[in-house]
Amino acid sequence: MIAELLAGLVFIPLGATLLVLLLPRQARGYLCFTAVLALPLCLMPLTQAVWADGEITLALAEFTPPLGIVWRLDGLALIMLWLTAIVAVPVSLHALTSFPPGEQTGRGFWPLWLMLLAGINALFLSADLFNLYVTLEMITLAGVAMLGIGGNALALKAAMRYLLLGLLASLLYLLAVGLIYGQTGALDIYLVGERLETDRLAATALVLMITGLLVKSAIFPMHVWLPAAHGNAPGPVSAILSGLVVKVSLYMLIRIWFWMAGDWELPAAATALGLLGAGAILYGSLAALIQPRLKMVIAYSTVAQLGYVMLLFPLASINAFHAASYQLLAHGLAKAAMFLAAANILWSIGTDRLHALTDLNRKLPVDLFALALAAVSIMGLPPSGGFLAKWLLLEAAWQQGAWGWLILISIGSLLSAAYLFRVIALTCFHPERRHVPTRWQSPPSSASIAALVLALLAIAAGFTSAPILGLIDDSLPPGGIWP
Amino acid sequence: MDTAHLVDLLLAVGMVVLALQVVSERAVLRSIILFVVFGLVMALAWTRLQAPDLALAEAAIGAGVTGALMMMAWRRLLIINPDQPADTPRGRSRVAVPVALLAAALVATIGLSALNIDPHANGAGLIALDELTDTSLGNPVTGVLLLFRNLDTLLEMAVLLIALLGARAVSTPAHPNEAAVVETSAPLVGALLAILVPLSILIATHLLLAGTNEPGGAFQAGAVLAAGGVALVLTARLQPGERPGVVTQLAVTAGLLAFVGIGVGIMAFGEKLLVLPGTWAIYVIETAMMVSIGLTLALLFAGAPALVGRPK
Repeated sequence: MIAELLAGLVFIPLGATLLVLLLPRQARGYLCFTAVLALPLCLMPLTQAVWADGEITLALAEFTPPLGIVWRLDGLALIMLWLTAIVAVPVSLHALTSFPPGEQTGRGFWPLWLMLLAGINALFLSADLFNLYVTLEMITLAGVAMLGIGGNALALKAAMRYLLLGLLASLLYLLAVGLIYGQTGALDIYLVGERLETDRLAATALVLMITGLLVKSAIFPMHVWLPAAHGNAPGPVSAILSGLVVKVSLYMLIRIWFWMAGDWELPAAATALGLLGAGAILYGSLAALIQPRLKMVIAYSTVAQLGYVMLLFPLASINAFHAASYQLLAHGLAKAAMFLAAANILWSIGTDRLHALTDLNRKLPVDLFALALAAVSIMGLPPSGGFLAKWLLLEAAWQQGAWGWLILISIGSLLSAAYLFRVIALTCFHPERRHVPTRWQSPPSSASIAALVLALLAIAAGFTSAPILGLIDDSLPPGGIWP
Repeated sequence: MDTAHLVDLLLAVGMVVLALQVVSERAVLRSIILFVVFGLVMALAWTRLQAPDLALAEAAIGAGVTGALMMMAWRRLLIINPDQPADTPRGRSRVAVPVALLAAALVATIGLSALNIDPHANGAGLIALDELTDTSLGNPVTGVLLLFRNLDTLLEMAVLLIALLGARAVSTPAHPNEAAVVETSAPLVGALLAILVPLSILIATHLLLAGTNEPGGAFQAGAVLAAGGVALVLTARLQPGERPGVVTQLAVTAGLLAFVGIGVGIMAFGEKLLVLPGTWAIYVIETAMMVSIGLTLALLFAGAPALVGRPK
């Protein structure tokens, strides 16, 4: 039964893509939405199984490493799969109205979205360096293509840049995989970790891999492609890219760093990664503070928020691990909510220039409420998922006496409060400003509900820490580096 | 220094010089042609490295299909903007030298690390050769692609489908005849096609069947099949269509349908995920993959969601 459920996570969306292409137009909407709804249903029994028996492994085609590929489902992978499923349902609900499955844009969106889901789920399950590469290619290509749906010139330009940088990053990663395979004759992360000696070859491979993955995750200063891409993508696509797609390569980075290279002594490299995170937090927040458009503020906020996850590398304690996992989860929920709300505002008013957005609290109360709730989580105010993530991170820094990181986290939170309060102040408290938009239509209620549900979940994540942190405790990396 | 080493040296120097020319050439068309030549030299290099499967793939996909795609893109640029030749701007970019130095440093580092490689005794390659004796296959590459690591191949097919879906979602369909470059009523065109197209099908089928025991397989066969399709598009025997019909959709998804159908459907019979039930399954999947790869590449070349026959 377990094997069937694991297969379902990848092959239900993949199979649905094939059916969507073959079926007549009328049946498509239901089929797509049912396929997405099946994901949480598959995850529930799997969660129970991981809870009871710990990690689940499945050797595909019955060939075990070093020859074959193994799927491994542990607590961390499970949390990321849940994030994907939970974000996917409201986003799909939103897309039913913003990309109607029967119309031209919908015909482009739905098959790509389902393929993207199959790729993301396959990536979280995989523990094989080359298989991870293939899934990452699926995700990047689908993401680039979804960005271009609708043919907005700015989005197409951003998609091209994303594609070229993404391919360069893939190439760096693949070069590293080649080196590692040549040396160890294995591709399974665990087996490579056992076989790979810490020498120049290993160092070269690790640097290439990390550089590639940092580009894909848009970590400062490799973030140049992200703001334009996430800020100009059509409605739900921004939510998907910011909520899920950038998390995927960060997850791979964490896996490779702590599982493959877990017992290497790399304090200088870890500090360097942390400093990149610091750069991301400061630069992303300051840039968000001066953006004239709502979606660009949210996009730069993603650059900043991803920086917190990078602090896991220098801190490297159980608390830091809790914090990073929770940050991935909470940021995914809150950012998807924000982008959906922004999509509704943009659809309704026809622009997302902050100076044109007045009086939203009266015109679009539900969407503005969703935006504000998500902002609470991003700022890290209690009681929200974002608060918990940042609190755990502060605790981790405090325990190790890492005052520099402690100050950085506090400054980052203050800055995020500044740029988000600016958005809320501009959209609510200047009803008499002159730029009254001429166009106005109220968004479909299901689109507003989708944004609100995600925002409420981002807040609710603050109350569900015990089971989630328990799952992470059961899946800490091997090796004795954990204070 | 014997002849073999001289050939190797010639290939290595030739590839570096060609690569330099590809990036420094101002006229885009010449750059594309040089790239195709580079791909062919690369294929020779793979042959020297005793990787005939890679050599075939490089020649068919790296040089052939990619070159044709780039030339088509260049032609589209000319159609969109006929006054301005699609040349790269004069003068060297400011980042050219730093990027070149960085790339050189990267190659040197990787090369130096690769020199010290000391392969593990229990590597996957040796195990693959070992396991192959239990199967009816003679080509270890096919064994890895279809049996030992078939999830990779399945997901690669998904990547190809995503590329096609992405092109459909992003681009506006080409106008009929836009893809054609040959005066279609010329008397020799029909005679040429009468040789080329059946030949491409013949070679594709040979590569597919040979793949079980010798170099070859669905990817190379699909690329050759696509070449036949490209010839038909260039001569306007096939024209870009507006909407993909059921047959087109079935053909582009056939590879995945067969792979998922057999690999996942097998679980209903109590087998494990992606265990293939026999050599027949490999043949079915490879044939379906060849059809999908061939049509997908031809569609990408034509820049169209579908291909239709020329109206009478």
